[in-house]
This record gives sequence, structure tokens and C-alpha cells, in this order.
Amino acid sequence: MKPSKEELERRNIVGVGAERVTNVTSTDYPGHFPGEDHAWDLGYFRDNVTIEFHKNEPLEAEFSLIGVDASIANAFRRMMIADVPTFAIETVHMEKNTSVIQDEVLSHRLGLIPFKGGKTGFRKFMKFYKKPEDGEEHSYVDFNTIQLSLNVECTHNKKAAKNETDVTKLYNHAHVYASDIEFNPVGRQEQYFSGDNAIVPVHPDILIAKMRPGQQINCSLLMHKGVGSDHAKFSPVATASYRLMPTIKIKSPILGEDAKKFQKCFPKGVIELQTVTRKESKEEGPFKGKEGEWKAVVVDPMRDTVSRECLRHDEFKDKVELGRKRDHFIYSVESTGQWRSDEIFLEAVALFKEKAKKFEHQVINMAR
Amino acid sequence: MIIPIRCFSCGKVTGDLWEKFVRLLDEGYSDGEAMDKIGCKRYCCRRMVMTHVDLIEKLLKYTPTGRNEKKLEMSRTAGQ
Repeated sequence: MKPSKEELERRNIVGVGAERVTNVTSTDYPGHFPGEDHAWDLGYFRDNVTIEFHKNEPLEAEFSLIGVDASIANAFRRMMIADVPTFAIETVHMEKNTSVIQDEVLSHRLGLIPFKGGKTGFRKFMKFYKKPEDGEEHSYVDFNTIQLSLNVECTHNKKAAKNETDVTKLYNHAHVYASDIEFNPVGRQEQYFSGDNAIVPVHPDILIAKMRPGQQINCSLLMHKGVGSDHAKFSPVATASYRLMPTIKIKSPILGEDAKKFQKCFPKGVIELQTVTRKESKEEGPFKGKEGEWKAVVVDPMRDTVSRECLRHDEFKDKVELGRKRDHFIYSVESTGQWRSDEIFLEAVALFKEKAKKFEHQVINMAR
Repeated sequence: MIIPIRCFSCGKVTGDLWEKFVRLLDEGYSDGEAMDKIGCKRYCCRRMVMTHVDLIEKLLKYTPTGRNEKKLEMSRTAGQ
């Protein structure tokens, strides 16, 4: 027996009341409803999963993933944050640092700077660096370590005007920026990271330190591949989050001044005011004889923040039903600049596939 | 002390925003508008620039040559 379309829609909506949330758990698994088969089916899954991009910029993407369970959606989110590898400075050899920033603070600051470079080199050529066991030597080679250096010295600028007060003009290198970091390719890195593919900081204007004449920073930096679960500096995203698609159902029409008030209960663009047409006013129903009056119409529920403001007013309480679609996830991914935002999601999907394969292997072994 | 490279909460790079922020304030923007302009939209990143105190500027006064400069400045003001 198949449930009706309305019933399926009802099951798919999480109710949002003034003070409580209803229908929270998903029920589409075998054995929940007698006589209904909800076994997972590849064909059904393939036909029902959709991805829609709302915004796709290198540093920010917003897209909908529709038709998956919360557990899968959350897995993607977590993998984007913690499992997609990127590069960051891991070791700093401080040769000289006479600036007012202490060695350890400076090293930490250097570690947090995001770097970009040739993507094929990062993906295919570079491997993870394995920390040496006790008694072993470090094995820094071209495919696991990237060498950078920062050598700056602050000096007086002889050409500066006599009454100059701007320190950046009065001295050379008064401000140390991320763009002062130099990349020193070794071995086959030339081939992957040259020209446009050279390794450079994503944001060249990051202020690393401030200095005065006589102060100097000399250090060599080693960069490794890493994942966000090890340290947040390796995370490719600033934020990766999702929310469920809001639904607003107007059960009985909201007209006139009420409609205007209703519109104000939501963020801009969610509710639109339309006039009741002549045709509608002639038909039997709630609009009869109301030609020319305002009526509230839901146009873009995605913009809603589900603040539940409308439920605080007695006049709307019984006329509107708020909810969220259980299987419609609106992701918002903000990249730190090493990968494009949409690439990060694709990378997470690839990782998920890999993990699932490993898991399958283990399950098969378990059953033996 | 010096502007943090990244936002403590979300990890957005804030290290390059301080100088832009100060420049915008000098141009007469209010701090809210300035933060919008440099792309700080979440309140975690906004507090990074808004509540930052650039104390390093004070420490930078204590340099080997700073003593001479202070002396020169004092002799100049004493003459007036």
C-alpha cells in the first residue's frame, strides 16, 4: 500500500510552533509503517536527489541538497570542515627575530595564513607528511614538504619627506605582510608550482608583524598537507553549515491591514502583497467582494529565518502554519581561498565515497 | 596586541581587514558600515575588528632608536 501524496508531504515537514517543534524524527525506514516498504533503493535515490546552486562564487557558495537524510547531509558538512586536506605552515625555524612579536606568537600567526597554488600539484603530487617515530630522522622530500622563507629587516627610508608621519613611508618594511613570504621550490615542485601555479598567500595583505628600524625577522618555514581534524588551520572552510528549507502555509487568507502587518513579521522578500483580482472577488470563497484589497502571498520562503514572529500575534496564530522541509538542506560554504567553495563540496563527496568503500570492506570481513 | 590572523570562532581571515577598517573609519564611515564594506557579516568576525586594540603600536615605541627620537621631540617642544 502506498501512502498518498499529502501524507508523504505531511511526514516530510518538521512543524515549528510558537514554543515547540513537532514531528522531528524521520520515519522513512523499513518497519515503521505497517504495510509500507521504505527499503533503501538506488534507483529511487538517484531519481530524487537534486542539487541546486543559488550562489557560486570562489569564496562563497550556497546550494540546496534535496532528498537525503540528515545523517548524510551532516556527514558532508563535517567532512568539509575536518577531512578535506589543505596546506599550512607546520614548522618554523626561527633564525633571528628581534621584533616585538614573540617567536611562538609569530610562528602561530604564520601557521594560520592560508596559501594557494597549483591545484593538480596539491592534489596529485603532494602527499601527507608522516611524523618520524622516536629515533628516526625527519624525511623532508619534495612531495611532502614545501619550503618558504620570510626575511625582512626594517630600515629608515632615506627618501622619506622630513616631516613625514606615516610609518610605512618613513621606514622600509615597517609592516610585514604575508606577501613578504617567499616560496623556494625544490625538486619536482618547479614543475607543478611555477608561474600562475606558484605557492602564494591567498590574501597578500595579511599583517604578520609590525617593526621599527633595527628590528629584523629571518625564518624558514615548512609547509605540510593536513586536515582540519588535526588543526583548524588546515580546514578549507571558514564556515560550512546548513539549514532546513522553511515552509510557510497560509491556511486562511490574510487581507487588508493585517496583510501588511503579516509581511512585516518576516524578513524582506518572503511575503508579497498582491491585490485581490476581480475574477477572484466574483468567485465563491474567502475573496468574495474583496476586490482591490491587499492579500499576503508567500513568494520566497527560503529567505525566512523562521523567527516565529507571526505566531506571537493572535490574529495570525490560527491562519498560518510554519515548518521546515526535512530533506531539503540549504548549505552555505565559505572557503578560505585554497579551493573554490564548490570544489570543497565535491571533494567531501569523493571522501565520503572512499570512506564508504573502506567501511564496506570491513563489514564484509565482519560477516565472514 | 596585533590584529589576529583569523577569527577565533569561524576561521575567516581577519589579518588583512584591520588596516582597511581603520582607513574606512578615517574616511568618515561609521564602524558598522565599515565592517559591512570589508566583508565582515557574522558577529564573530565583526567583534574581531570592532573590539581590537592595536597595542603593538605602544610597544613599538620602545626601540633602541626611540629614546633619541623622544629626546629630540622633547627638546623641540621645550623650545616653543
